[in-house]
Amino acid sequence: MNSKNLVLVLILLAPFISFSQLYKSESSYIKFFSEAPLENIEAENKKATGVLKLDNNQMAIVIPIKAFEFEKALMQEHFNETYMESDVYKNATFKGFIDQKINWKKDGEYDASATGTMHIHGVDQKVTIKGKLTIKDGKIKLESKFNISIADYKIKIPSAVVTNIAEVVEVTMNMMLGPKQ
Amino acid sequence: MRVFLSILLLIFSVNLNAQDDLLDMLEEESDADNNEEVFATWKTMKLVNIHSTEMVKKNALDFRVAHRFGNMGVESGGGPHSFYGLDNSADIRISFDYGITERWQIGIGRSKYNELIDFSTKYKILAQKEKKVPVTIVAYGAAGITPEKDPDTRYDDWQNRMSYFLQVLIARKFGQRFSMELAPSMLHRNMVTKVVDPDGNTLTDENTNYSLGVGARFMITKRVGIIADYVYTFSEFRENYSPRNFYDPFGVGVEIETGGHVFHLTLTNASGLVENNYIPETNDSWAKGGIKLGFNISRVFQLAKH
Repeated sequence: MNSKNLVLVLILLAPFISFSQLYKSESSYIKFFSEAPLENIEAENKKATGVLKLDNNQMAIVIPIKAFEFEKALMQEHFNETYMESDVYKNATFKGFIDQKINWKKDGEYDASATGTMHIHGVDQKVTIKGKLTIKDGKIKLESKFNISIADYKIKIPSAVVTNIAEVVEVTMNMMLGPKQ
Repeated sequence: MRVFLSILLLIFSVNLNAQDDLLDMLEEESDADNNEEVFATWKTMKLVNIHSTEMVKKNALDFRVAHRFGNMGVESGGGPHSFYGLDNSADIRISFDYGITERWQIGIGRSKYNELIDFSTKYKILAQKEKKVPVTIVAYGAAGITPEKDPDTRYDDWQNRMSYFLQVLIARKFGQRFSMELAPSMLHRNMVTKVVDPDGNTLTDENTNYSLGVGARFMITKRVGIIADYVYTFSEFRENYSPRNFYDPFGVGVEIETGGHVFHLTLTNASGLVENNYIPETNDSWAKGGIKLGFNISRVFQLAKH
């Protein structure tokens, strides 16, 4: 290879190197809450991870189901065993793209949304999730609150406990991302 | 130029891969450091007769009511005039078990049979994991005392009315539906009887009695399963005693879980509900209709955050 070609390669490589910058989650917090006649159900998860690719707005999030913590231990066990079947469907995931054009180099707050595939309990659903995106001091913060209808993901509730569990679950998600080393 | 093109191609393919596998990359990372403990090997801390390796969760109270009706078969005192045993109660037990930590629980119970009051403790030594650890091991111990007075005063001394039970439970969950366990056990009774059998031999029961329990569960749906257990007793006295009226307890049942409750509907020949009673004193046989219908009800209360 002569030197002219080498320069060409470097030029061609340049955009990939400079713009394929990955941001990875440094901390995360996910909560779900459902209000039902008999008892409210609430669980928290701090073990979700996410990545964001700045050059094409692509993002992915992985939420390990077993890491949801409930107030009642038995509820947590039943959530895993009979509802989410987390031995088989270990993670809930989202992969998609942030819809808005965002200047990643500038600090600021954006009302943003992400469109892609939500994967829960082995079922894929196309979704658009609205939220807030904050860029500050080289970190990106994602905040979102959205509803999930459990029937969409084929999570079955036996008729005996139907009044115990709401059909729609409210999910709150916060994630702080920083540049990946 | 050819080299240049191939490098270019390589760069593009690598880059395309990286884009597609953003999610795969995350999932691999997340799964790699996950070797979770296998959970819900059993639905509740007991099968029909023997204990399971399931623990009461931390800060939770398991309130249980168990009942065994009388024998069903005519030959064993049942039949239509006792409504196949439903008019009688072989044993009734009310108990409370509390989880001090995720791995340690204590309990107290009271049975109709022998009026036995039992204090028990259970400790999880090892938990089965998705990788590397194939079994769960739990140690169970119970001390029982009966306030029952014996007409011939042998039992006046309270020490003579005490018995101790020690068991190691080794269980494995094979997939979502099937779990199995082995339970080598030891029972010590402070005082045992000396008897003369119909053949004229004088025999003394063993103070210390060894046995091996085996139990299994098969889930039919996510909330309904079949449970069964059996206890084999190693006892020279029971083999030599000529009426041969000691039998190994065998139980089979249906398990139904409804969220906060677990129900068992059972059939067993076991005489009582606590090991200290049914291991040495099961005198009913399945073959002779010494089968008792019974139920176990478990209700768990979470008293504080776990």
